[in-house]
Parts: sequence; C-alpha cells; structure tokens
Amino acid sequence: MVDRIIFVCTVLLAAVYLWATSKIPTLALGDPLGPKAFPQMLGVGLLIGAGMLLAEIIRAGRNKSGNTEKAAPLRFEKHDAVVLAVIIGTAVYVFAFERLGYLISTAIYLLVMTHFFNRGRWLMNVLTSVLFAVISYLAFAKLLGVNLARGILPF
Amino acid sequence: MDTFTHIMNGFVVATEPMNLWYTFLGVLMGTIIGVLPGIGPSAGIALLIPITYGMNPTSALIMMAGIYYGAKYGGSTTAILIRTPGEAASVMTSIDGYEMAKNGRAGAALAVSAIGSFIAGTIGVIGLTLFAVPLTSMALKFGPAEYFMLMLFAMTAVSTLTGDSPAKGVIATILGLMIATIGIDLQSGQARFTMGVPEFLDGVGFVVVVVGLFAMAEVLRGLEDIYRGSSAKAMRITGKLWLTREEWKRSIGPIWRGGIIGFVIGVLPGAGGTIAAIMSYTTEKRLSKHPEEFGKGAIEGVAGPESANNSDTAGALVPLLTLGIPGGGATAVLLGAFIMYGIQPGPLLFQTKPDLVWGLVNSMYIGNVMLVILNLPLIGLFVRLLYIPQGILYPLIVAISAIGAYAINGSTMDLWLILAFGVVGYVFDKTGIPVAPLVLSLVLGGMMEQSFRQAMTISSGDLKIFYGSTITVVLLVMSVISVLLPFVIPMLRKLGSKGDES
Repeated sequence: MVDRIIFVCTVLLAAVYLWATSKIPTLALGDPLGPKAFPQMLGVGLLIGAGMLLAEIIRAGRNKSGNTEKAAPLRFEKHDAVVLAVIIGTAVYVFAFERLGYLISTAIYLLVMTHFFNRGRWLMNVLTSVLFAVISYLAFAKLLGVNLARGILPF
Repeated sequence: MDTFTHIMNGFVVATEPMNLWYTFLGVLMGTIIGVLPGIGPSAGIALLIPITYGMNPTSALIMMAGIYYGAKYGGSTTAILIRTPGEAASVMTSIDGYEMAKNGRAGAALAVSAIGSFIAGTIGVIGLTLFAVPLTSMALKFGPAEYFMLMLFAMTAVSTLTGDSPAKGVIATILGLMIATIGIDLQSGQARFTMGVPEFLDGVGFVVVVVGLFAMAEVLRGLEDIYRGSSAKAMRITGKLWLTREEWKRSIGPIWRGGIIGFVIGVLPGAGGTIAAIMSYTTEKRLSKHPEEFGKGAIEGVAGPESANNSDTAGALVPLLTLGIPGGGATAVLLGAFIMYGIQPGPLLFQTKPDLVWGLVNSMYIGNVMLVILNLPLIGLFVRLLYIPQGILYPLIVAISAIGAYAINGSTMDLWLILAFGVVGYVFDKTGIPVAPLVLSLVLGGMMEQSFRQAMTISSGDLKIFYGSTITVVLLVMSVISVLLPFVIPMLRKLGSKGDES
C-alpha cells in the first residue's frame, strides 16, 4: 500500500519537474546542451525509478499469491499524533526564532518539549532548558561571534 | 619533492600542537556522537561546518575526519550496553556484544571493540597511505567523461546496495540530483527551479538537508519511541576492562580479517560500514569451530565486525581523497565540508596541498591512539552519557541544529528547510527509502552535471565519449554490475542453499 503511494507521488513529482524544466528559458550560447538537458534526463530517470518500483510491487504481489497481503490499512494512530505535535511545536519554534530571539524561543521550546517527553522531573527540565539556552547563547553569539537572532532582548 | 617527503611532512603538520588539539576535539566529539543514539557523524560534521567557518582548513578537516572515524568507536559502546547501535554500522556488535554484557563480560566486549577498532583502524590508515599514491596518478588521466562515469558508478552502487529496494534507492538518488539542480545554473547563468524564492538562487544548502535528514528526522523517531515507551535502558559495565588470554587468542584472527575486509569494502562505493560489519560477522561464523556460540555472546562476533567498520572508514577516504568522489553518505558530507572550505579533493590536491592531505591522513594514526585511550580507561565517562534522559537529549539536538543552521546565512529559511527535510527523512525511514543515496547525489549533483556538459562540449554532442576510453568502459561495466548485483545475489543464494541441502 505504502509503495503504491510512493509510486504515485514519484510519477507526479517527475511530471511536475519535467514541466518546470520545459519552462526554463534557454539562450544558446556556446554550450550545446544548455541548462535544460540534464534536468530532462533526471525527469526521465525518476520515471524509470518509478517503473522499477512498479515492477517490485507487482513481483511482491505475485510472490504472496492470493490475498495474504491484507494491504495493511494506513491508520492514524496516537504515536503519529505525537510526531505531528512535535512537528507543529518545532514549527512554532522556528516561527518565533527571529521574532522573540534565540534565547527566549529556545528556552521556551526546550521547556515545553522536556515537559512532555521527560515527565515528572521538572526541576531537571527547567534547569537544563534555561541553562542550555543561556550558555549556548553566550558561547556562540558572544564568544564565537556566531550570528544568532537577538529578537526582543536588548543584548 | 617526492611522495615520501610529503608523507613525512604530513607528520610534522599532524603533530603541530594546534592540530593535535583539533584531532583530540574531533575524536572526542566523535566518541560522544557515536555513544549518543540519535545524532550520527553525518549530522555532527554538517553542524560543525558553519560553526568552524573561517578556521584553518587543515585543522577543521582534521577535526571533522576525527568525528567521522571516532563515531565508530563510540557506536560500539551503545550497541554493547543497550543493544541499540549508537551508530548504524554497529548493528552486528549489538548481537553478541549485548549477550556478552548479559553474561557479565561487558568489560571484555568493550575492550575488544576498542582494541580491535584501534588495530583495524590503523591497518586502514596504512592501506590509505599505500593506495593513495598509485590511485592519484591514475586519476590524473581522468577527463570530464571519466569523472562523469565514475560518479555514475558511485551513485548506482550506492542506490542499489543500500536499503532493501533498488527502485527506492534509484528514486532517492534522482531526488538528490534534482535538489542539486535548484539555483543558478553555473554555465548559462539561468535560474532553475527556484519557485520564486530568492534564497533558492544559491541552491538549497547542503548542510540544512543533511541536518534535516539525519538529525531532525532522528529526533522525530526518537521522541516517537519515547512516547511508545520502547526506548531501552543501559546496562552497567561488568567485568574487568580487559581480555583473558583465551579471549585474546580468539579475537586476534577476527580483528585482522575484519580489518582487511573493512578496508576493501570501504574503498568500493556503495557498501559501507554496515555491510563490512555483516560480511565480517558471517565470515567469522563460517570459520569458527563453534558457530553455535554466535548470537549467544561469542567474542569473535564483536571483534570482527567492530574492526571491519573501523577500517572501512579509512578505506572510504581513499576514493574521496584520491578521486574526489565519495562512495557513501558520510564521506559525501565530508566532501561537502571540503568544498565549503574551497578545497576540491582529488589527484590535484596531492600536488597543490600535500601538507593538508598528508597532515589529515597522518592525524588519523594519532587520532586512533587517542581513541583507544578515550574508549578504554575513560569509557566510564562516556557511558554516563547513556544515562542522560532521551526526552532532554532530543529537544537539545533541535536547538543545536538551529544554532548551526542559522549561523550559515542568518535566515530562518534554513530552519524551515531543516524541519521540512526532517519530515522527509522521517517519512523516508518509515517507507523504506534510503537517505544516503540522496545525500551523495546532492553533493555530487553539480559536479556531475558540469562534467557531463563539458564532456559533451568536447565531443560536440557525441555520446560516444562516455564509452570511448578503457577507463570509461571499465566504469560502465562496473556500473552495470552494481545494478545487476541485487538481482543476482538472491539467485546465487538460492543456488547455494540448494547445494547445501543435497
């Protein structure tokens, strides 16, 4: 089931990529191939990859012969929700990164994440979150001169 | 100057106090990264690229190489004590290593992997020294067509040999090449596939892709495991950190054989440390007088694979340094680091910057000595890392990734890309699409297109140039073989098993 979805996505992606390739304007200047030729090969190559996958799907189906493959239904389970929540939480962190600055956004992100994934040890979580944010900010932004977003803080 | 003088000069470079310090930092970080499940050498090196920007390239590369081979030492500790490989290539170690730990021989298992890694790692570096010179003189004859075919061979080998499905490997390879085409085309100055995003004109940064695919994806996986309650607990070290005479006698053969197997596999593209470890394990099981002990704590099952995956790292540096073409994911990241410093590895580098090349190679002898000290007497310190709650560790990895990525351009665009590629890497892992081919082809993509177009310009559009010389024909045949291997091996196995039964 999963492989079929990958197959469809691959074909769609190849189609979009080939379409985008055809939109690249070309100026023939000494370069006999131009900027389009290589991408065209890649588009075709991706279609070949999709073809290979289709062959593998068919072969796997034949080997199992009969309906032993119950086509494991894709169900959205609780641990998938956890992954989705982490993705959303991290997106909020990225969104806040420049707006609030590295120091504040990182401390809050770490507090929230450790609260959920290292339950019950709140003192340890608060200490690591705050200390990591402060020390890494001082070390990288102040000592090493690495560019880190300052945000709303004056320093 | 002749090569011998260059090699000797390399020792001078490698023993400069500054470079000794960076060797130490590299192998220390490598050990830590290897011990910690969740962040591997690829992500570690990628994160260091922006932070070390502006450093002396020789020192920076010595440090990054230290992370690369140091991680293999650390990986075994995690494999032995919690049965999870801290680094992918330690999978085989987790079988017998963990059993040994359960039998109260954790100390011996850790000792044999450190000693084996040291001996085999040194064998690997000697091999690297010996092979580098003849290979570079051959590589000097390479034109664009030869380079194109060489990259094609590296990519076909990696795409068909990593993972279970060659089709998915091919798809991952092409996706990497496609990502590499984003940005301004160097020959025509034409912007391609930028989707109107100005940040994409320079192309998609390779650091963010690697950090996303390796670190962020691992964070998502790890946090999911914590939620499911399936993350493992570490065992205590039991028994003395040394071998009995009997164990030593049983280990020395596997160490030598593993060292040689690993080096050979490492030089070839595609296979990599995991396959080297598996091959060493099966070899030892076949040679053993008591194969029934394998899987129940046979010391040979730790000594062989651990040695193999260490000499593999030195072997994998052979094509990277001499030809400029990596044969796997981690060396592709190293190539990315070289390029960031404006250094193109390859045969010319041996002539233009012999100090850098031999300083780097020779720092590995020293690094291996440091590693055996870090991983034997000081192992207790690193084991403590395993007691860090993973619920704290993973969020910290996100914050560290954010520092590294934001430092490149000071743009949150890179942070969004890390998150996006983290999701891609997570989905790839769940659906069985290998990530290493994508990284390799992403790094090589630009070079591959350039050499293709240069070759076509030389031949004025005639494809014959790609099978016109002996070297290109050999590379073409090797590419075809690597494509056919996944289909041939199961057939051979079937034949073999039939033979056993009769």
